[in-house]
Amino acid sequence: MTGYYLTILEGAALTVAVSLASLLVAILLGLAGASAKLSGRKPLVAAATLYTTLVRGVPELVLMLLIFYGGTIGLNALMEALGSEQTIDIEPFAAGVITIGFIYGAYMTETFRGAILAVPKGQMEAAWAFGMGPLRTFWRITLPQMIRYALPGFTNNWLVLIKATALVSLIGLQDMTYRAKQASAATREPFTFLLFAAGLFLLYTWVSLWVLRRVEARYSLGTKRGQL
Amino acid sequence: MNKLLAAILVSVGASGAMAQGADLKVAIDPTYQPFTFKTADGKPTGFDVDIANAICEQIKRKCVFVEQVWDSMIPGLQAKKYDVIISSMSMTDDRKKVIDFSDKYYNTPSRVVVKSDVKVDDAFGGLKGKKLGVLKGSTQEKFALGELKAKGATIVPYEAQDQVYLDIKSGRLDGTVADSVEVGAGFLAKPEGKGYAFAGPSLDAQQYFKYFGSGMGVAMRKGDKLKQPINDAIKTIRANGSYKKLNDKYFTFDVYGK
Repeated sequence: MTGYYLTILEGAALTVAVSLASLLVAILLGLAGASAKLSGRKPLVAAATLYTTLVRGVPELVLMLLIFYGGTIGLNALMEALGSEQTIDIEPFAAGVITIGFIYGAYMTETFRGAILAVPKGQMEAAWAFGMGPLRTFWRITLPQMIRYALPGFTNNWLVLIKATALVSLIGLQDMTYRAKQASAATREPFTFLLFAAGLFLLYTWVSLWVLRRVEARYSLGTKRGQL
Repeated sequence: MNKLLAAILVSVGASGAMAQGADLKVAIDPTYQPFTFKTADGKPTGFDVDIANAICEQIKRKCVFVEQVWDSMIPGLQAKKYDVIISSMSMTDDRKKVIDFSDKYYNTPSRVVVKSDVKVDDAFGGLKGKKLGVLKGSTQEKFALGELKAKGATIVPYEAQDQVYLDIKSGRLDGTVADSVEVGAGFLAKPEGKGYAFAGPSLDAQQYFKYFGSGMGVAMRKGDKLKQPINDAIKTIRANGSYKKLNDKYFTFDVYGK
């Protein structure tokens, strides 16, 4: 019996690893997408709009199956056409992280875009007047101020992302939800193990909420409470 | 040139695996006790797993088990994540359109289960007004909608068989249609199954093949050369007694069926 709890804990470690790595990908894609949308250059705006519309409009489950299995089947068909006997196997961890990161990057794009718009334009203009380049302006002026505005939406996205990691079981990774399902099927005691997994999820989100509150407090320094 | 391009593609994919190795990659979804499930120390076990090992022994390959969720079982096979599926997969006509099957390696009939005082005849008369829960998308659901609905029964689909048992317990359902082994161990043998029993005939007759297929088979990609050796292996283990030994390890009756 305790063996099953241990395997679920192992699955929990995988869930944490997948979610943190996906978050990194999502943040990078979100910043890139938001910059593209606000750049005012037509091709960039069009590409970013296509990305957010498509990804936010298609269910995650479908995207996951399309990217992972569709991608592998396509590559293997290509290999066969080239006359090779070998088959390609995409590494599931990387595939899961990239897919979830790609999906949540679209949500992050909109969150970051709203946050950047909330920073008064005069701040950036002042930076340019001091001769700062676009990158330096972003790091020194825009980013520290936008974080405060981005955090509520960011927190939402993160909580949903954590729970979306259960989807990686579709591509062969054994996350904690799948392990809990295996344990309940083997023992025919569904509630015991599913409740345990639910408790672990709750613990994880609770810890992340605590961390995010600290971040929010840090980036709200110098602003009056209740000002917004 | 083509070889070079292929080599580049392999190095891009994190691990290029030779298709013709000594290992036979077998996909299982270990959430189906007693056919495929995991022991507390995480080892795959069950009747399917033992059959897979017996087949591997015959065809002189080593079984390597790959765990896969049921929803993506067939896409994974087509993406060459593994070579075969040995996970209690029914050989239905819909599946046969996209993958190949070996001969059957077992066939447990599905049965109707209702309160033992309900009188049901061989043509399933007597189910009028009864509410039966079934697993959504299952062969049993197709059967229930195709045969029992016409007899006046109400068919309610559920996401999981567990939920059907919970709703029988809470009184919202009068019974279910399920695999006899599954419903035997998961419901009838438990305290909440008291007062319930199999009703009507066993559903493995020819006339029900269109719903249930012809049993469970080893699934492989279309046109795979493995089909003949695997069929031979199933014949051999049936003949030399190793099948019977595995059968008796898990069941008190013959799961091979008619």
